Amino acid sequence: MQIQLQQVVPVPLKEKFSQRPSDIWNTGITFHSGDWIKIVAPSGTGKTTLMNILYKVRHDYEGSVKWNNDDLRNISGDELARLRQQNVSVIFQDLRLFENLTARENIELNRVLQKPYYEAPVIDEMAASLGITHILHQRAGVCSYGEQQRIAIIRALVQPFEWLIMDEPFSHLDIANTKKAADLIAAECKKRSAGFVLTDLDEDSLFPYTQTFSL
Amino acid sequence: MLNQLLKKIIRTGVGRGRFIMAGIGLTIAMLLILSAVQIQVNYNELLYGKSNQDSIANFLVVAKVINGNNRENVLSTEEVERLKRQPFIEKVGLLTASRFKVSAQSPSDRFPFYTDMFFESVPDEFIDVKSDDWKWEPGSTTIPLIIPNQFLDLYNFGFAPSQNLMQLTQSMVMALPIVLNVSFQGQPIRFTGKVVGFSDRISSVLVPQNFLEMANKQFGTQGDVRPSRVVIRTNDPGNPELVKYLKDNGLVTDADKTRFSQYRRIVNTVVNASWLTGAVMLLFALLVFSLFIQLTIASTKNEINLLVTIGAAPKQLQRFLMKQFLPANIIITIACVVTITILQYVLQAFLLQQNMYVSQWISWYTLAAAVVILVVLWIVNYSTIKKYIRETEK
Repeated sequence: MQIQLQQVVPVPLKEKFSQRPSDIWNTGITFHSGDWIKIVAPSGTGKTTLMNILYKVRHDYEGSVKWNNDDLRNISGDELARLRQQNVSVIFQDLRLFENLTARENIELNRVLQKPYYEAPVIDEMAASLGITHILHQRAGVCSYGEQQRIAIIRALVQPFEWLIMDEPFSHLDIANTKKAADLIAAECKKRSAGFVLTDLDEDSLFPYTQTFSL
Repeated sequence: MLNQLLKKIIRTGVGRGRFIMAGIGLTIAMLLILSAVQIQVNYNELLYGKSNQDSIANFLVVAKVINGNNRENVLSTEEVERLKRQPFIEKVGLLTASRFKVSAQSPSDRFPFYTDMFFESVPDEFIDVKSDDWKWEPGSTTIPLIIPNQFLDLYNFGFAPSQNLMQLTQSMVMALPIVLNVSFQGQPIRFTGKVVGFSDRISSVLVPQNFLEMANKQFGTQGDVRPSRVVIRTNDPGNPELVKYLKDNGLVTDADKTRFSQYRRIVNTVVNASWLTGAVMLLFALLVFSLFIQLTIASTKNEINLLVTIGAAPKQLQRFLMKQFLPANIIITIACVVTITILQYVLQAFLLQQNMYVSQWISWYTLAAAVVILVVLWIVNYSTIKKYIRETEK
């Protein structure tokens, strides 16, 4: 599955972006299937906006985004849900967990939304590898940000996908935990031959990126 | 598993108390509308049911109002045809009058009487006397007669005491031959009359139709005479429409038999009012229930939004929400039908003591109404959920 961006400019940031060059905004660009893409940008340059546009959470932009040659604007409802269940997974910067569900239930929910890609015990394996086994039974609302972030990562990884969209996925993790999380993500993407788009503030060498862009 | 998780997410917003309140409202409304249907059915059964019918009351003799202005108050063919077309009139029988002069006298001096008289005839199906002697063979000089019961009463309780005559029983009258003289071209032609029965229904002297046809043709002195009276058969003499029709068309009938139309109108109004109340209540209940669904969805708007964001399909959520509301609707419907069934059973036993007969089971109409309401509930639930999920998605 390809992701194409054509002259995409977020409406609220239009003035700002038209004045400076960007690898992404207002150009034509294609993310090929299986690409591991890093997008580097300082704060306030629209990383989250881009991620939200790619995942169709925001609609206030000019230009067009295409998933597999279909304009995102034309995909909605059950068709959009099918793509999100089967083809595109996401890790939000603001995590977006259900506070009233336990950590395990948050992950389980995304596992059973579609025909499960993994059996339930895989959750325990992943939790163990990220060191959050002990909080799986806790309400997500009372977990620390670092824990919530790891819950959100596992949640994104228990479903089938061809693309993984990650918005500063390690922002609350220390170096050691970041490494573990990156290894898990890399392993899962390889397993599915999936691509990803990752945004972060700085350059890094956590993954063998195929392309790096700056916003 | 998914449903359990969804339940945990979506339940959090709305209290159980509100759900129960909405359910109670719906229950009351449904009970009202179903009882209105059942009451209507019972009412119809009481009015038209075989076991509740009074056969005498179903035949009415209808005549023009006599106002003194017209010499003849006859029904035109057109008026008779119009009567036949009315939905509340099942059959119309013409009362044919004799068009010749006839007198009756006693054959014996022991019991002398003489009177000028007349005959009428009506198709047999309108006559309430069943007798094997009620027939006339062409050529026969014996004519069977049916006279009104009132005649005998008038004689026995009015005339006989005043004239110091003996009172007569029905069988005595039936045993008495009567000499009938039909005048034809100035000459009397003699027949023998024999009373074969007494009618409560038609107050006239009746002879068999074939005799009167023959006699009118043979002895008739006047031209074609239109009927001044007709007998109608109706399934419901108390029907206010019938009474109104007769009144509007200058016709009269036995007021006693149509007296109930006044009460009927009142009862009709009450029954209709119960329909209206039930319908309005149901409308409100549907509104309350759909508001309840809206409230549920609105109060979990963020959760539903997040569910859709991580990939829950609107269809999945709709299916889940329907599962939350529809079982309650089905249970309420079943509970209402069961309640109405019990009430009907009790009502049947009670009315039986009053000699009124209704079925001890609820009617198909009531069941059908329950099903229709359930379908309407389903539609309201479904469309509300669909609409608000879509709105939440945005």
